[in-house]
Amino acid sequence: MPDIFDAYFAQQVINGISLGLVYALVAIGFTLIFGILNVVNFAHGEIYTVGAFAGLLLIVGAAPPLLAVVLLVMAVGAAAGVGLERLAFRPIRRFSDEASLKSRAMREATLLSSLAVSIVAREVMAHVFGGEMRIIPQAALLQDVITLGPLTLTNGNLIIFGASVVMLGGLQFMLYRTRVGLSIRAVSNNVLGARHVGIDTNRTIVATFAIGSSLGAAAGILVGLYDGNIYPYMGFAPGIKAFVAMVMGGLSSIPGAVICALLLGVSESVATDFLSSGWKDLIAYGLLVVTLIFFPQGLFGHGRERV
Amino acid sequence: MMADVLLEITALSRAFGGLRAVDDVTAEIRQGELVGLIGPNGAGKTTLFNLISGFTPPSSGSVVFRGQNLAGMKPHQVSRLGMARTFQNLRIFPNMTVFDNVSVGAIGALGYGLGQGLFGGAKRAGEISARAWSALERVGLANLAGELAANLSYGKRKYLEIARALATDPVLLILDEPAAGLNDTETAELAHFIKSLHADGGTILLVEHDMGLVMSICQRVMVLASGAKIADAAPKVVQADPAVLEAYLGIDEEEDA
Repeated sequence: MPDIFDAYFAQQVINGISLGLVYALVAIGFTLIFGILNVVNFAHGEIYTVGAFAGLLLIVGAAPPLLAVVLLVMAVGAAAGVGLERLAFRPIRRFSDEASLKSRAMREATLLSSLAVSIVAREVMAHVFGGEMRIIPQAALLQDVITLGPLTLTNGNLIIFGASVVMLGGLQFMLYRTRVGLSIRAVSNNVLGARHVGIDTNRTIVATFAIGSSLGAAAGILVGLYDGNIYPYMGFAPGIKAFVAMVMGGLSSIPGAVICALLLGVSESVATDFLSSGWKDLIAYGLLVVTLIFFPQGLFGHGRERV
Repeated sequence: MMADVLLEITALSRAFGGLRAVDDVTAEIRQGELVGLIGPNGAGKTTLFNLISGFTPPSSGSVVFRGQNLAGMKPHQVSRLGMARTFQNLRIFPNMTVFDNVSVGAIGALGYGLGQGLFGGAKRAGEISARAWSALERVGLANLAGELAANLSYGKRKYLEIARALATDPVLLILDEPAAGLNDTETAELAHFIKSLHADGGTILLVEHDMGLVMSICQRVMVLASGAKIADAAPKVVQADPAVLEAYLGIDEEEDA
């Protein structure tokens, strides 16, 4: 058992926090969309990949400063989210009566259509960009080494940390202090109630997709530049981890998803002390199984906890 | 059409398969009226209500509200025209505060553009919160504004839902069985409250199962039976109407409570 002050261990915790924050950004998209539609959006991992490629094209084409890259990628992600909603979700949401809203068949149809869109999107990206890892211009990588006493960090750690904290804070502000946020929470709480006091539910759902997807896309480019790898299948693993974090967090609790994502990131990172890195996925699935057995509502969900 | 007719229902029907849940109903509600809609279980009250609020499309006939035909309108558009409703089985937002619940009503009514919705309009924000406070004060929930709606008692949740509807600043307020699940004291309080809303100039349609409440406060009562309107008159007239007695009360036995 490593000592808590062991530099290597501290290093792994820091890496784990970065990883966990990335999972959190992705998990929020899942959670927001699940909260409002009661459906898992299987194409969310592809939004992450789209974000990474959009950022790469920008960097190769124009090399703007990082902040501009992230903001533009978020805009692309938002647009991709809106398109996804149109393509995979809205056609199946034709019926808005109560029976359809509760219908399992409608939910499963939506889930499958998002899965279908995710497969098509992934294969199209593989066809256009090739299945290989892409070479990222050295200057754009977030791998400058920063030494802090015994710890060796990269600027990527700090940038991911800073960007995630800003985005998470912005999300909370948006949800609790703006009209869009209030509408999203209202629709998540009770669709029919919201509709009958004048909330345009379709527009609110579109806004939710835009917001969730912009965070997912930002995570994609940040991780791409931090890891130095951008490839068409890169969204799969973070998508699964974020899904696990959402389930552990109680399906529709944002704070729950964020805390579980951090827990997951740190556990995976620290576990490389004990396990070879090939086994680290075991941690996520192990935690998921344990959570589902002992806390079927998730760690932070009680009953119908919502956004 | 007379100038002060707010809601005009013409030959409205809705069939579910072979069942005509609402059958050729014609009715109107004028500005400033407090109208009751009663009928035994299964008479079609809820269906009529859903047709009026744009929740269910009619099979035939029309609903005209403030001069506009509601055909094809979505519920949020009907709401923005000035029709607010509450639900028999409450549809509040349990995981939001009382204040936020009511704010949603104000937001819905005022609407917002994309930029406004995310970034701005302090003036609008002020207007929203002023409306929310005023609605909360009218129902007497201002002191619980910061409480989570899920923590309110059943009776208070009903008032919360009414406050949310009031925050939309409705021209017509439709209450769906507000007395359901309330005891006699609470029902009396509710009657007093609805009368005060009416006295403040509100136009109210009260859909109720509780005959006593409707007869005691409404100026006019419409009676539905098997989907058709069988009476539409002052409470005393309706109470003496043989068709109503037969259909609703049952002459020999009062098994339909």
